[in-house]
Amino acid sequence: MSLSCIIVEDLQVAADYLNRCCEKSGQLTVKGHFQAVPEALAFLNSNVVDLIFLDVEMPGATGFDLLDQIAYSPKVILTTSKPEYAYDAFEYNVTDFLKKPFTYQRFLDALKKIPPTAPEVTDNSVTETGIDHIFIKSDGKLIRLNNEDILYIESMGDYVKFVTGEKKYITHNTIKNLEEKVSKQSFMKVHRSYIINIDKISNIRENGLFISGKEIPISKAHKQEVLKRLNII
Amino acid sequence: MGSETLPNQFIFNEKMDKDTLYGLYTDDFPYIEEIFATTLQHFDADFGAVQLAFEQENIEDLKRAVHKIKPTFGFVGLLETQACCKKFEDDCSRASSFTQLTNEYTNIKNMLLEAKDIIQSEYLRLKAFNASLL
Repeated sequence: MSLSCIIVEDLQVAADYLNRCCEKSGQLTVKGHFQAVPEALAFLNSNVVDLIFLDVEMPGATGFDLLDQIAYSPKVILTTSKPEYAYDAFEYNVTDFLKKPFTYQRFLDALKKIPPTAPEVTDNSVTETGIDHIFIKSDGKLIRLNNEDILYIESMGDYVKFVTGEKKYITHNTIKNLEEKVSKQSFMKVHRSYIINIDKISNIRENGLFISGKEIPISKAHKQEVLKRLNII
Repeated sequence: MGSETLPNQFIFNEKMDKDTLYGLYTDDFPYIEEIFATTLQHFDADFGAVQLAFEQENIEDLKRAVHKIKPTFGFVGLLETQACCKKFEDDCSRASSFTQLTNEYTNIKNMLLEAKDIIQSEYLRLKAFNASLL
């Protein structure tokens, strides 16, 4: 395994230590170290990495702000000294949570949680896409889902949840992979964790939209595109 | 056992938790020297942010600055200092007025300055120790 990564951390000694852990592991190539979210975002807008080591509290913006704004879904390992962020970490589907300072062994344990094929999970869980439908593998069956029945698709780490008006289907896949497979006419990615059916939006607010009563966040990176696709008069 | 000195073994200041240091760096003393050096290079700026926030009576900035400097002490084995930073950070979260923080601030400020002295002196000792092994 050789993954590219960046370190987003405002404490120099912590960044140096993390950098050394990455080098020592022989599994990671550090593409950059950023002390604040805007610099990291500028880099991520023009570079793709497999993994981000991300501090939470930094000057100006938090690590979660970065996750809201990033346009794709690399794996994320949070590095913080506050265990209170564990719940948010879970909500953002991060791979692991390292409490500073952590040992090298704990660092290696976190790396082990990254699936070997994480950036390219393509297990054909979506086996066929047509203009108006897709087939997904769920519960050992191939299930046809008509585009018009799908409300949204939500990331659950290495799995995704297809939500229809009647049922939810969980299958092994990633939002990143599905973004390429679903009909671009009907669907669009609005957040690193969500692809939505455009026709199902009932209303939009400042940073979120509602589908069937469920509030779905819109990241800053996707907001302009969302507004462009809507028939606003 | 505790007072015995093994050859090529550095004995850290008693306020530094040696289990933490060995857990993080094993016995890579040149690397620990680097860690201490990096910590000292950035200490004044990070501590300055704490002082500035206090002088400006800005509780949010004070909390943020203490939060930032806090893990530094974990990396150099000063666990008591790290714990005091955590407590002060919590105090900042709970404080309804700035005056409630004045006494605690004096304590934390003294503790941070003492921590810097310890890191500085251990850095110099460690530097000499590493040089003696060359």
